[in-house]
Amino acid sequence: MSKLNVAALTLVLACTGAQAQTPASNPMPDGSEDMYAGLGVVSKPRYAGADVRRPRLLPVLQGQWSNGLFVSGLTAGLHLSHRSWLEYGPLLALDPGRDQGGDRGTFAGIESVRLNNLAGRTPALQQANDSAPQANRLDGVPSIARRLTGGAFLNLYVAPGVRLTSNVLYGAGNAHNGATLATGAQVMALAPAPHHTVTLEGGMVLANRQYNQAFFGIDSGQSGEQGNPLYAAHGGWRDVHAGANWHWTLAPSWLLVSRLDATRLLGAARASPLAARPTGVSVSTALAFRF
Amino acid sequence: MTRAHHFRLVTLLGLAACLPGRCAMAQASGDWVAYRDAYRAMVVFEKYGGPKSLLQQQLQVRPSMPTSSAGGVELVVSGKTTQGHFPLDATLRTVFPLARAPYDDNAVLRLSQPLGAFAVRPQVTLTLRPDNLYDSEELRHGCEQALAFARELALLGARRCSGVRFVFSKDAPAAPVVVRGGAPAQLASGLAGAFAGDADATFLVVTFRFGGAGRLQLGTATAPLAITPLFD
Repeated sequence: MSKLNVAALTLVLACTGAQAQTPASNPMPDGSEDMYAGLGVVSKPRYAGADVRRPRLLPVLQGQWSNGLFVSGLTAGLHLSHRSWLEYGPLLALDPGRDQGGDRGTFAGIESVRLNNLAGRTPALQQANDSAPQANRLDGVPSIARRLTGGAFLNLYVAPGVRLTSNVLYGAGNAHNGATLATGAQVMALAPAPHHTVTLEGGMVLANRQYNQAFFGIDSGQSGEQGNPLYAAHGGWRDVHAGANWHWTLAPSWLLVSRLDATRLLGAARASPLAARPTGVSVSTALAFRF
Repeated sequence: MTRAHHFRLVTLLGLAACLPGRCAMAQASGDWVAYRDAYRAMVVFEKYGGPKSLLQQQLQVRPSMPTSSAGGVELVVSGKTTQGHFPLDATLRTVFPLARAPYDDNAVLRLSQPLGAFAVRPQVTLTLRPDNLYDSEELRHGCEQALAFARELALLGARRCSGVRFVFSKDAPAAPVVVRGGAPAQLASGLAGAFAGDADATFLVVTFRFGGAGRLQLGTATAPLAITPLFD
């Protein structure tokens, strides 16, 4: 499903339920919305485990509706809980897939929507790398199509500003059978100075065998021009990660959103011939308008 | 919140904009806070479905720098179609207007006098009695209502009510709270911040801890500025 189709779907859902009572976990006036849109840049690896990063434009899109519906980047969901300390509901996410150039373009949300951002080189190293490009381990590896994945999210506020997060998504990969379980913790809304807030987070992602095989495995006939060995990936922990989101509210309607994220591949993903560099960092910044 | 309540508040905001002498106040300069962010923090109590008959909620302004003189300061709501002015009390609190129009406007909150950068936060306190007489069991029930609300916000945290704090201005009478059950006794008072986390100890605070002394009557010499719950 294309991004436009996802947007159309969420708009339809928003319109049909706009008069519903606002869930406690989505505190806003009944029938209202809170929207952000913007544009920025992200420096991230070409794909999960790549040793070459590249800058990209990063569109920002986030919306919340009083009926509990939210859209954040390529993720959309619905808050169903009426308890303030509990958040749960269905979740849809568009997995951007991958081609031989790496991950396809994506969107970001204002709140942290963690993508498969893995990197491993400093800018200085990147400059050297650009002058002598390394072999592309994705050469000959079949593309992974964009997939609409579905699942659910469950978050618990264990203390004010401290949230345990989880979500499960199914449907990634060309066979539509890749599944992930993401677990994490967030310390939210630290305020080091007026108009600045910082959210810290960390977590781990568990993937089934089908997911890891789709993104990190090498089937027979796929070893590619670079001679990647056959590799059968098993399921298990895919990565452990930590990140920080920094929001700088420049004006009532303007927000500078920046994010630093470090990730280390684990298990079968780390051992994959495609994973040239298991640990990496990505950084992004974007200007968003609130309306 | 009902739609009728929304409309009343919007009307209130609109009228405030047109009162003589008020329009100039809308030019309040200085730092600001997004109305939407304040709304999101304040509406949680409004939507809370548990018992809250003995509680009240107000918005507290928290300047980044300590301020010695904040008398007469108003919170100014400024949006494209809405204006409103809400006087702050001595603890820099005011009733917050939960309204749809300033939310849709993406209005901002400013102060009528420049106090520098500030933040806002909800403050849930016990309701005050007009006769200045408080029953210890009612205070305990009020504290337990506040505890139940606090536990609605987070799974872990405070587990028990241990008492309440009476907050007075520092020029309050010397014995602001007297226990009237059994042998009359005064409760000790001291200078402290009005609320947990407040830095400047500029208020006279009397702490009353719940004990096993049975039902007591407490009288205050003057109306307290606030009665705050005390959790363990």
